[in-house]
Amino acid sequence: MKKLLDLRFVIGLFFLLVGGLLLVYYLLNTDITQTSLNLKCGSVFVVFGMSMVALSYFSKIEEE
Amino acid sequence: MKLQLIDYLVIAVYFLFVVTIGYVLKKKIKTGNDFLMSNRNIPLWITSLAFISANLGAQEVLGMAANGVKYGLYTVHFYWLGASLAMIFLGVYMMPFYYGSKARSVPEYLALRYDEKTRGFNAVTFAVMTVFSSGISLYALAMLLKIILGWDFNMSVFLAAGIVLAYTFLGGLTSAVYNEVLQFFLIVLGVAPLVIIGMDKAGGWQGIVQHVAEAKMHVWKGMASASTNPMGVDAFSLVFGLGFVLAFGYWCTDFLVVQRAMISRNLNEAQRTPIIATLPKILMPAVVIMPGIILLALQSEFKGFELPVNAAGELDYNMALPVMLSKLYPNGILGVGITALIASFMSGMAGNVTAFNTVFTFDIYQSYIKKDASEKHYLYVGKATTIAGIIISIATAYVARNFNSIMDLLQLVFGFVNAPLFATFFLGMFWKRTTANGAFYGLLSGTAAAALTHGLTMAEGKGGWLANWHTFYSGTGQAFTIAWIAFVVCFAVTVLVSLVTKPKAEESLVGLVYSLTPKQKDAAKVWYKNPLILGLIILVITVALNIIFF
Repeated sequence: MKKLLDLRFVIGLFFLLVGGLLLVYYLLNTDITQTSLNLKCGSVFVVFGMSMVALSYFSKIEEE
Repeated sequence: MKLQLIDYLVIAVYFLFVVTIGYVLKKKIKTGNDFLMSNRNIPLWITSLAFISANLGAQEVLGMAANGVKYGLYTVHFYWLGASLAMIFLGVYMMPFYYGSKARSVPEYLALRYDEKTRGFNAVTFAVMTVFSSGISLYALAMLLKIILGWDFNMSVFLAAGIVLAYTFLGGLTSAVYNEVLQFFLIVLGVAPLVIIGMDKAGGWQGIVQHVAEAKMHVWKGMASASTNPMGVDAFSLVFGLGFVLAFGYWCTDFLVVQRAMISRNLNEAQRTPIIATLPKILMPAVVIMPGIILLALQSEFKGFELPVNAAGELDYNMALPVMLSKLYPNGILGVGITALIASFMSGMAGNVTAFNTVFTFDIYQSYIKKDASEKHYLYVGKATTIAGIIISIATAYVARNFNSIMDLLQLVFGFVNAPLFATFFLGMFWKRTTANGAFYGLLSGTAAAALTHGLTMAEGKGGWLANWHTFYSGTGQAFTIAWIAFVVCFAVTVLVSLVTKPKAEESLVGLVYSLTPKQKDAAKVWYKNPLILGLIILVITVALNIIFF
């Protein structure tokens, strides 16, 4: 078990997906009373997810 | 609380990820050591987050929000007093013996330091307790899903157990550890928005201070007597019972958490694992306790934030976090919050199952049933034990459903076992004269003393099954007192028996006892790689937090 799955990539991908889902739900939701919480949280999740994926990517390049 | 498609999608994505992690890791697992010990190949940041996540189960996430409502800010003692010092001590002083001795488990260290009977006693009690704790996590998860989502109890039990089985069976300890780290981020990012919008609604920190009773907004004020603080605990029981015995007994000897440091890549990382974990640990109250305190403020400002009552007609404090989620989260982020709760339950269960299969395979099966089998054989045993652990957990969930008192009983017995165990380790590591018989009879006496104290005292209607010599202000106060009495009795009996029995030869204790082990030279290391310097920095931060919120 020399090289393990990069957990940063997994976590990043998870939050990218969940953040993306929240953003799509916010944009498609026509209820005018809805709060902007899904928009805010979705954006934070996407940024966090992208940062983790980027960290994983750059560390892979560094190793190579 | 009504979930919509978006919430179910978030839950489904989480389930898909945890099982996929197990499936991907499966290809990398070839031996029993890979499956049960991750081949000691896990990076520091993962072991550190897994170290605190192993303790961030549902009882913690729901229980600390509940304590936030009951005790207010005093609940932070479970972190700032009941965790930080013990975690730093583990990293600086105890980890060199666990890791350096090459023991694969805490019971195996006991076998090296003492003898097989002490190891057997610890292995059996630990294995039983972990698998039952796992079952209780499963029961609590199913009950939560039934109450807040209306899901069927049986379906919840089998769905959660099936998913945990899938990823622990496929990926072993590594899979459990990876999922614990994912769960950590999910809880922090899933609950933090609740704290932010809750505080905003309550009028910020000033609004909280204004609307929550002054008696609940301190950490140390009123601790001179058990009758003058909401915890019902006096300073001596708090500091000695929680801060010393329970904290050190849990964080320094419980294999469930210690295992996360023991799978580090080298000794220095194993030492830094619990120390680095201390930093997020002391900040965790902002995420797990604050929702309870914010709820108190919202209850006095708005209608609709009342807690439901349980079957006994009492306020159900464990519903504090679900009430906050349902009142403040819209669909979408609500799915994330619910997923965070589900993740904490499943992760708590997986942590127990992976600790159980390691201890059973190495400390019971390999020690007493089949000594010299191949690595592949132990891999099969580890996998079979994982299945058995899940089946016993399901059975326990149903037993707990029919006999609710079994949960209290198990929590209590867990305390009986952990509190004296720290005395056994402390003496074993720091007093070379401690003998195997001293340790064994000390452990037995400490456990018996804990049971006896519980039988002779009462709190909140519990205990006193022999007689009632004393009534405590709270169950917490009773638990802290039982812990320090068990520790003192174990310590005293171990010392007395050791003085009249023959110790092991000194050459066999090198690497196991502090005074007989060559000291490491840390001077050349940079500060952030030096466990002692890191520990001192975090200790200063912890003290500062205690002063700020005095």
